[in-house]
Amino acid sequence: MARILIVEDDRDLNAAYQIILNRAGHTVASALNGEQALRTAKDFQPDLILLDLLMPVMGGLAFLQAYDLDEHTDVKVVIFTNMENSPEVTQAYNLGVTRCIIKSWTAPQNLMRVVDDVLQSH
Amino acid sequence: MLPHDAGHSSQKVAEVQAESEAIFRSIGDGAIATDEFGHITRINPMAQRILGLKPKEALGQWFPRILPIMREDKTPLALIERPIVQMFLTGKSVTAKVRYILKDGSSVPVSITVSPIILNGRPVGAIEVFRDITEEQEIDRMKSEFISLASHQLRTPLSTIKTYTHMLADGYFGPLAAPQTAPLQTVITAANTMNELISVLLNIARIESGSIAISTSEYDAAQLVTDVIKQLQITADARGVRLRFIRPAAPANLCTDSLIAKEILANLISNAIKYTPTLGTVTIRVRDLQHSVRIAVHDTGIGIPRQVHDKIFAKFFRAPNAVREETVGTGLGLYVVQGLVTTLHGKIWFRSAEDAGSTFYVSLPKSSVSPGRTADL
Repeated sequence: MARILIVEDDRDLNAAYQIILNRAGHTVASALNGEQALRTAKDFQPDLILLDLLMPVMGGLAFLQAYDLDEHTDVKVVIFTNMENSPEVTQAYNLGVTRCIIKSWTAPQNLMRVVDDVLQSH
Repeated sequence: MLPHDAGHSSQKVAEVQAESEAIFRSIGDGAIATDEFGHITRINPMAQRILGLKPKEALGQWFPRILPIMREDKTPLALIERPIVQMFLTGKSVTAKVRYILKDGSSVPVSITVSPIILNGRPVGAIEVFRDITEEQEIDRMKSEFISLASHQLRTPLSTIKTYTHMLADGYFGPLAAPQTAPLQTVITAANTMNELISVLLNIARIESGSIAISTSEYDAAQLVTDVIKQLQITADARGVRLRFIRPAAPANLCTDSLIAKEILANLISNAIKYTPTLGTVTIRVRDLQHSVRIAVHDTGIGIPRQVHDKIFAKFFRAPNAVREETVGTGLGLYVVQGLVTTLHGKIWFRSAEDAGSTFYVSLPKSSVSPGRTADL
């Protein structure tokens, strides 16, 4: 089982993802924006980060630039957003994220499937 | 001394020349005329203003030298691809959106049309008419930003509804009483329909405003198909439809926008699943052709009656047998798919008969950067 950091500013969704991933046996930490996520990631040392793009204080792209996936080659990032086909998604791929999924299309089952897929590609 | 009528006709010629000069000067768009070798013979005041060029700097100069251009996305454009050169090569008018590079190194986006000047049936030069589209591009950018934001705002509450209803249905908050299951499923279905509607409407707004941002890279078409199949496997399982993917022997690489390509495939494959009865099969096949990659989505579903074949890509159209089979649907899916395929400079077509399944073919060019190239059929 993996260590997963959820970065999502919507408290209801953040809580839901925690329940789903905890239930699946993962160890979960959560942050409400990129800045909190940078602090949490330091101690928590995640295997996978589930990252929203549009967030107050520090958004997903700014987080990716600050966190620098080249420095954390064993960490996978899955973007979780509602911005379909947007330039931000393309930028996120350029910054090294593994997958990008649309929140409003994703049921808990799909979320777990994506997480398992990405972790297996380690 | 000239005979009376010769003097009269030379005066007439001078008048006609003055009039054509006045017309040229009054054109509200920028206009530059050249001789048959591309040397500038006239430049109107609007062109001078847009380009910051004085007539004495421009006249007699070779057009491509005095006014270099690049693509809209600021990448270089080879001389042979330059519209005026294309026009001289083909003898036909060429319309394009490019950027002119100005003296100070800055650039201005323009929409141009370059046409041959024909005199006595012989091409004697070219005229390039252009419009500064800086403002239009800014409006497009704002429109696309608005669409993107609207999409996000509409979906945020929907994500919460969808996640929690699924969690309720999956027993995360305790077991459900039997009579509660069906109503909850109704909420999930409605949320999915709403989600589809948002997607479709946003795509239509994007397609119709021409504001789809394309970002191309090299991908293996088989990988794109695999990603989409992964997304749709649960839906197919739920409907008892088998998804079968016939992979090509070698990677079928193409340079395209993966997000748009996947959206096209997801639309076609989910349509195939939706209109295929339980125990049916949806088969996806990828073929690597010389200039393009062709993806075929074949289903064993209800098919499309022959008499409505010509309407199937029309906005809001749904085939009568599809409406009987599945009441939920907007008739916008294939309209959007066709728009997205066109955005990637591809082609889409299908073969189908009622009760005999359908096969939709999408052909995407291997290099979608070159707008002139057409996909193989």
